[in-house]
Amino acid sequence: MRNEFEHKQFAHCESGVVSTLLSFYGLKISEPMAFGITSSLSFVYLPIVKINGLPLIAYRELPKNIINKISKVLGIKIKTEKFKDPIEANTRLTKLVQDEKKLVGLQTSVFYLPYMPEDMRFHFNAHNLLVYGKESSKYKISDPVFEEVVECEESKLMRARFAKGAFAPKGFLYYPEDIRQNIDFPKALKKAIKKNAKSMTTPFPFAGVKGMKRLAKKIENLYKEDIKYIQLFLTHIVRMQEEIGTGGGGFRFLYAAFLKEAKEYGLDNEMLDTASSLLLKSGNTLREFALLCVMGSKKIESLDLEKISDKLHEAITYEKEAYSILKKI
Amino acid sequence: MEKVFIPQEENKTTNGQQKVMYAPNKDGKFETFKYGSSVEEYATSLAVEEYKILMEKSKQDILSGNASPIKYFMFKNRMDIPTLASIVGKFQITVKRHCKGNIFKKLNDKVLSQYAEAFDISLEELKGLHFEK
Repeated sequence: MRNEFEHKQFAHCESGVVSTLLSFYGLKISEPMAFGITSSLSFVYLPIVKINGLPLIAYRELPKNIINKISKVLGIKIKTEKFKDPIEANTRLTKLVQDEKKLVGLQTSVFYLPYMPEDMRFHFNAHNLLVYGKESSKYKISDPVFEEVVECEESKLMRARFAKGAFAPKGFLYYPEDIRQNIDFPKALKKAIKKNAKSMTTPFPFAGVKGMKRLAKKIENLYKEDIKYIQLFLTHIVRMQEEIGTGGGGFRFLYAAFLKEAKEYGLDNEMLDTASSLLLKSGNTLREFALLCVMGSKKIESLDLEKISDKLHEAITYEKEAYSILKKI
Repeated sequence: MEKVFIPQEENKTTNGQQKVMYAPNKDGKFETFKYGSSVEEYATSLAVEEYKILMEKSKQDILSGNASPIKYFMFKNRMDIPTLASIVGKFQITVKRHCKGNIFKKLNDKVLSQYAEAFDISLEELKGLHFEK
């Protein structure tokens, strides 16, 4: 069973693409649900891994987490394909969207997409988008973070699909093959929520709440660095937090929305409400935190690192409480 | 119900596009809202600006003979050494060497065209990069 394809704009590319894909092939699933049921909320601060000289900071799970996990948690089949040769990858994509009229998900680089605004083009290789057709040499694309559908010349899309570097997409494409309807949502949700609460409270010092604490500590100690580095570090945190459209700690809002939606499945609604509210508070606090980071970077003479670090600690307090509740669900 | 502030500020970096975020509506149900954030704008602009600064600096270094066009085009394409190394399939230390002015002169066309391809320019553009003092 296939539904009509309809472009929608989402907060996050991967959860958005998966939501549209599954809905199109017959399983209506919202973006927050795709994000939450795959336990995709995360926090990682890895000072040893550097991106442009700055540490890796992530507010959600690794790219492809949703695509890889959704089939397992829902017991559906998602066909994934990788390629060595760009021409072969292009022929395959054309066949799928033109001959078989399929809706196909792609992993691409952001930098090589010609429709991407100039200032948003960075070498980030784990962007996700949907291809829903082709006319002469142009692909019709539904990019989940864009307001409207876009078009892309096939030679350009080939380049974006075969960008090299970290998370190189290697022509990766995906589409659901077999979607069953009798899914035990309550069971899957309970498991997913518990799992995520556990991963956020892991003893591993660079992840979850512990990772957030470590970042707060690092911020306090930034005064030892030179001004340039402080500015870049603070805005780097903000960029990782916002990441192509999530609205200031937006992943927290996304998860809060998921917890609300989970109320329809007979779990403990009071717990879900409280935790959802706490994550909203954390999202709001993270937005204030981002604002402080930016203000501090702009007016370096009035920079108050302790205040910034305190703000992050405030978010940590809300999140800790939320996860201790969700662990017991 | 905890309220969520939805910023409606200008963000030039998105080129007129607005992004969406989740927030509860009047009835407490979550939906997507369009937003524009000046905080995001600043963070993005600073990152873009940083590459421009590095590009300008490499221009000066090329003029003084200390840097090669590879360094200039690397920053122009918003790459760093690890990214470029992975694109051309070389060790980072090799790419670092190729960023030096004196080493660049000794590189053959085969190596240079790998870089030209990475930057989406012709071999002539790479070799012929020239700045006026």
